[in-house]
Amino acid sequence: MKLKVNGVEREVEADWRDESLLTVLREHLDLPGTRFSCGIGQCGTCVVHINGAPISSCLVPIKDVAGKDILTIEGLVAQDGSLHPLQQAWIDESVPQCGYCQSGQIMQALALLKENTNPNDADIDNAMKGNLCRCGTYDRIRKSIKRAAIVMGQVR
Amino acid sequence: MPQFSRRKFLLSTGWVAGGVTALYALRNKAVAVAPTIIFPDAESGAAWIQIKANGTCHMFFPRVDMGQNANTGLAQIVAEELNVEVEDIDAARPSTSDVPPLAVTAGSMSLTAYSRPIAIAAATLRETMRERAASKLGLPLADILDDIGGFRAAEGPRLSYAELVDNTSSMVEFDGNRPAPLLYTFDAQRDKRQVGRAVKPLGIRDLVTGAPVYTADIPVAGILYGRAIQPPVRNARISSLETGDVANVAGFIQLVREDEFVGVVCKTPGAVDAAMTQIKVTWDLQQPIAQEEIDRLVDVDAAMAKGDLEHILQDEAHRKDIDWDIDLRFDVQVQSHAAQEPRAAIARFDQFSRLEIWTGTQDPFGMKRFAAMDTGLSEDAVVVYPQRLGGGFGGREHYEVERDAVRLARAVKQPVKVQWTRKDEFTASRSRPASAHRLRIAVDEVGNLSDWWYGYISGHVVFARERLPGWLLPVARLADDMGVVKGAISPYGAPHQRVEYNDVDLPIDLGVWRSLNGAPAIFAIESAMDELAVRQGIDAVDFKIAQMHSAHPRLQNCLERVRALSALKALPEGAGYGRGFASGIYDGRCYVAISADVYVDAQAKQIKILHMCCAQDVGMAVNPGQLRAQVESNLVWSIGMALLERFEVADNAIRSSNFDNYKIPRMDDMPSLDIEIIDQPTMPPTGAGEVALVAGPAAIANAIRRASGFRALRLPISFADITANSAE
Repeated sequence: MKLKVNGVEREVEADWRDESLLTVLREHLDLPGTRFSCGIGQCGTCVVHINGAPISSCLVPIKDVAGKDILTIEGLVAQDGSLHPLQQAWIDESVPQCGYCQSGQIMQALALLKENTNPNDADIDNAMKGNLCRCGTYDRIRKSIKRAAIVMGQVR
Repeated sequence: MPQFSRRKFLLSTGWVAGGVTALYALRNKAVAVAPTIIFPDAESGAAWIQIKANGTCHMFFPRVDMGQNANTGLAQIVAEELNVEVEDIDAARPSTSDVPPLAVTAGSMSLTAYSRPIAIAAATLRETMRERAASKLGLPLADILDDIGGFRAAEGPRLSYAELVDNTSSMVEFDGNRPAPLLYTFDAQRDKRQVGRAVKPLGIRDLVTGAPVYTADIPVAGILYGRAIQPPVRNARISSLETGDVANVAGFIQLVREDEFVGVVCKTPGAVDAAMTQIKVTWDLQQPIAQEEIDRLVDVDAAMAKGDLEHILQDEAHRKDIDWDIDLRFDVQVQSHAAQEPRAAIARFDQFSRLEIWTGTQDPFGMKRFAAMDTGLSEDAVVVYPQRLGGGFGGREHYEVERDAVRLARAVKQPVKVQWTRKDEFTASRSRPASAHRLRIAVDEVGNLSDWWYGYISGHVVFARERLPGWLLPVARLADDMGVVKGAISPYGAPHQRVEYNDVDLPIDLGVWRSLNGAPAIFAIESAMDELAVRQGIDAVDFKIAQMHSAHPRLQNCLERVRALSALKALPEGAGYGRGFASGIYDGRCYVAISADVYVDAQAKQIKILHMCCAQDVGMAVNPGQLRAQVESNLVWSIGMALLERFEVADNAIRSSNFDNYKIPRMDDMPSLDIEIIDQPTMPPTGAGEVALVAGPAAIANAIRRASGFRALRLPISFADITANSAE
């Protein structure tokens, strides 16, 4: 069984084919940047993109994504090590406190900016309200999304 | 400890020879403020800063990282003293074999307790290097001037630190017998380069790129996966255990039972989930787990009706039988830490029976000792590698997930990783206790406070059951529980006053939660004072400032500043809008005032927080950016405590199990924020990790009072509470 993760084809070995996508990414494919938090799709911590759509990977059986394109937080860094504008915005605004939820936050924000290149506060509320941050970095996440939207708009 | 034995000690740790090493220790201070849990140690807090043989500056971080990023601030102090860039410091998180025992990271103490010892060590190191430079150049000390990364002669060459060290080791320790070196950090006249700068958290790139930084991310060869059953309460006993068809679960390896400990080890996490569904435990409880039982135990009115409470904190010319202008009871419910990361640990025994533990804990040295006691190993055979915590908030101080991993790894003789489920977190994280607070206040003929009588009952905090060994508990409980007394003494003065409390066992496990009793007690006090102002028809901020009688100028200033800050944004006109204020002192040293603007929306049937302002006096602001971040976090927690977080127990179990039935603040709950960090460059840093939470919930409740007429007597507040009240 194969899937394509961050542009690279990966084989899932037999022992891991009854696991969730989240578990396979973390424990089998050495991609621990996507993290477990609630296990029931209620917090957004484990969001990855499956064929371009943001989905909580804890809820997805690995069998369901055979052959599909998976994008994780590790896939946002370019080959030369340069950061995605969202990651850079997260640094510029000093968003993370404990940092545990931030991979999912960034992946969710990426999906928002793909749909909406200039989101207002209500758009951000709507897109991001499923992503919990117990440290309460929401105000900085909001600013970072707006900052990244400007940078990405200029790049386009 | 004499210098030679320190050196001997260093040689047995992670210290690398060469260059010049400056030792520092907190000594008695650390024991007083934050020993490692249960086991205070005279050497707690000792560590060192070193200019290594290649000239780079190395330091071990003395605190664990859990989101407060205090180590960044401490590195800024070292950088300031040594004239280097904070980003150039080679800083490492020590294992328990690298340094002498360090204190538990708790109590918002990092900057308060560590800033001065670290500044002294770094300044001593700098002056030692200056002496070397003077001797090398044959110049008087006074001619050796600071330069970036070293020194320069008044007229002549530059000398970097690298040119002043070699592979021979030299040890310096500020001994207190000579004059202290000039501390640049605390020099108000100095134009500082590192302290006072909003340095980004060190390691921030790792946090936005998904680098392995938390315990469960650490790759360990041959790892297996395990989990133990968390009892509903730690004094429960197994009444029956059924293991179903667990042996036939694909990937199952072993079931482990030791007394009340039951766990499984499997090849994959999914197999652990499947195995756990096969195991059914019924428990014998010593107390029913029910809300009515909790309510009964904290019934402050019933206890005060019987006479004095057990602990009296303040008793001055107390009068019992007078006409009270305020006589209100406030109830605060249990709350959970709900950290984003469910705790995790990895345990591995090597071929020599040495035990390695990777874990995110607030108390690495406590874990080392407990693991030694649990396994019968000597402490020397245990090493703990502390990892970044995905949130702590007081809930990560105990040997628990570590115990799960250690026992399972020992049973299967292979390394085991355990990560709690979200339900485990809600069940076993030792929640903030429920508490009930009776406030009686009277004013004299000109409106000044004349009488103050505050009695309350809280579940135990620091001396909670299962936090200390059973034999120690009864003795410990004779003293004040420093968690339960937080926040109880008000900043207001009255000629007649009494403050008393009981602390009790509740049917669930309790422990330390952000601000301890600070947030519940100050919610009650600030609500009562606000209600008194409302009933007298006077301005609440003026009233509170006046009743402090100039005793707390820093708190009075916070109130004035937050009033000015809130005035910058007009409250919308019309029914349902209100603005409230509250202030508080955390731990006698941290000052904060908050305003909240709310809209009680009768049509949508909801309470919406529109805007919050905060003025916080932080003493010297080492890192204004991170201080602001801590204020933001505390404001969000204030919203959770005031409006959202409802911990439920029923039918002898904890019913709150995940984020679908325990609501915490989300992006769309966020108001706009205006924060002022009041910098006092000549005063020691006060800490900020759990400060603003003491005033936030009351500010929100006081705003709701003005928006709707409803005085909240119970947290969390729901819209239904308001309508039920107006129907009465």
